[in-house]
Amino acid sequence: MSTQTSPIIRLVSVGKRFGDFEALVDVDLEVRPGERIVICGPSGSGKSTLIRCINRMEKHTSGTIVVNGHELTDDLRDIDAVRREIGMVFQSFNLFPHMTVLRNLTIAQRLVRKTPKAEAEAVAMHFLERVRIPEQAAKYPAQLSGGQQQRVAIARALCMKPRIMLFDEPTSALDPEMISEVLEVMVDLAGDGMTMVCVTHEMGFARSVADRVIFMDRGRLVEQADPETFFTRPQNERTALFLRQILRH
Amino acid sequence: MTGWWDDYLWAALTVAKVFVCSLVFMVVFGLSGAAAKLSSSKPAQAVANAYTVFFRGTPEILVVLLLYFGSAVTLTAVGRLFDPSIRFLDIPPFWAGTIAIALVVGAYATETFRGAFLGVSPGSIEAARALGMSGLQTFVYIRIPEMWRLALPPFGNHMLSLVKDTALISIIGLEEMLFVAKQATSTTGKPFTMYIVVGLIYLAFSTLVTGLTMALEHHANRHLRAPT
Ligand SMILES: Nc1ncnc2c1ncn2[C@@H]1O[C@H](COP(=O)(O)OP(=O)(O)O)[C@@H](O)[C@H]1O
Ligand SMILES: [Mg+2]
Repeated sequence: MSTQTSPIIRLVSVGKRFGDFEALVDVDLEVRPGERIVICGPSGSGKSTLIRCINRMEKHTSGTIVVNGHELTDDLRDIDAVRREIGMVFQSFNLFPHMTVLRNLTIAQRLVRKTPKAEAEAVAMHFLERVRIPEQAAKYPAQLSGGQQQRVAIARALCMKPRIMLFDEPTSALDPEMISEVLEVMVDLAGDGMTMVCVTHEMGFARSVADRVIFMDRGRLVEQADPETFFTRPQNERTALFLRQILRH
Repeated sequence: MTGWWDDYLWAALTVAKVFVCSLVFMVVFGLSGAAAKLSSSKPAQAVANAYTVFFRGTPEILVVLLLYFGSAVTLTAVGRLFDPSIRFLDIPPFWAGTIAIALVVGAYATETFRGAFLGVSPGSIEAARALGMSGLQTFVYIRIPEMWRLALPPFGNHMLSLVKDTALISIIGLEEMLFVAKQATSTTGKPFTMYIVVGLIYLAFSTLVTGLTMALEHHANRHLRAPT
């Protein structure tokens, strides 16, 4: 990645408090278009909070966040403009249980983008094919396996044609045999040049796909490096300890 | 029995009308009550709490009487300000009764809807917001349908309450089935026959409503069934 390209996501000394508790402390982060970032760290270290601040599912309490040229403030138009550019995938899939897979994929296109029905359905089928489950279009989420549900969730986000995809532990809720089918879809996406910020502990994925791996602890970015350096020569003692713990599994 | 069928039929039609109208009001009261209880506004919460405490804690027949005579006394007093010759003004018993039973059952429905809204998975709400859907779109397309599925079983009971409560409105002179049965008894001297007919008609209504609820539940739970 050329360092000249201006960042698509820029966080400058961002802080987030929940009451007295500091979930994020002085976070600086720049993500360039097409860059693939993996964030890891112990539970409660603020990983979810960090990516949720990027599409303003949480409001940061200090510092500045600029996404795709829009600064995140209380201005509703800017938030909408930013959310349109960002797709988000959750640990627990969060599909709409009362809608078929197809409707899960068309509803936001139709309501938010005002896409006509036929076109929205064509887009939906295109992305269902991309995640390799076009035959499930008429089913309801509860009728699918976890891995299939997560792929539908990825397709749902892609239907909005985002420039950035945020993943919050997309495989943590899955049975081991389903993890790879979801990771394959994510690898494909990386191959297409999508800007990705992934919270995950799938270190194989991080090694093969990430441009940069970030370690978080207690609300701070403790260390960031390219995967090779990160895994073989971690600079910080806490990073090294964390890596020893998760690689033991 | 002969000679009374058309009165019963007419009365049954009145009951059906009361049921449909009170159902609409009951849903409106229930949703408003639930919205108020879930809102962050303390005054709205206080009003909704007072509403449910009062209407769940007062005998329904008393609510019907209080609403009818209370509104009549008020209307008459106001009317006399303009025309002193007025002796009695009232809201038609149909509407007074319909609103009274809708208020009572709406108080129970408030709790049902409140619980159901709280049961909607926060995950789908989040997903909708992350996809850029507005608060209103999320409410209409995600929250309401998901809430509805959870609310349906108790909601079926509320509908049955409404069916049975229509009988209370005879006390303020609405010519529904009990009213007809009473008249028929006094001319024919056959109370049991006359009242058992009323019972059977109510049973038919209740069966219909139960069937409707089951069909709605079947539809609302379609996503939980194995694919065909
Ligand atoms: N809505 C909230 N209110 C209060 N505390 C919160 C809230 N969300 C997260 N936190 C706290 O912030 C910290 C970081 O949470 P999170 O970002 O979810 O961590 P991670 O994703 O790294 O496990 C945790 O200690 C959590 O308890
Ligand atoms: Mg998390």
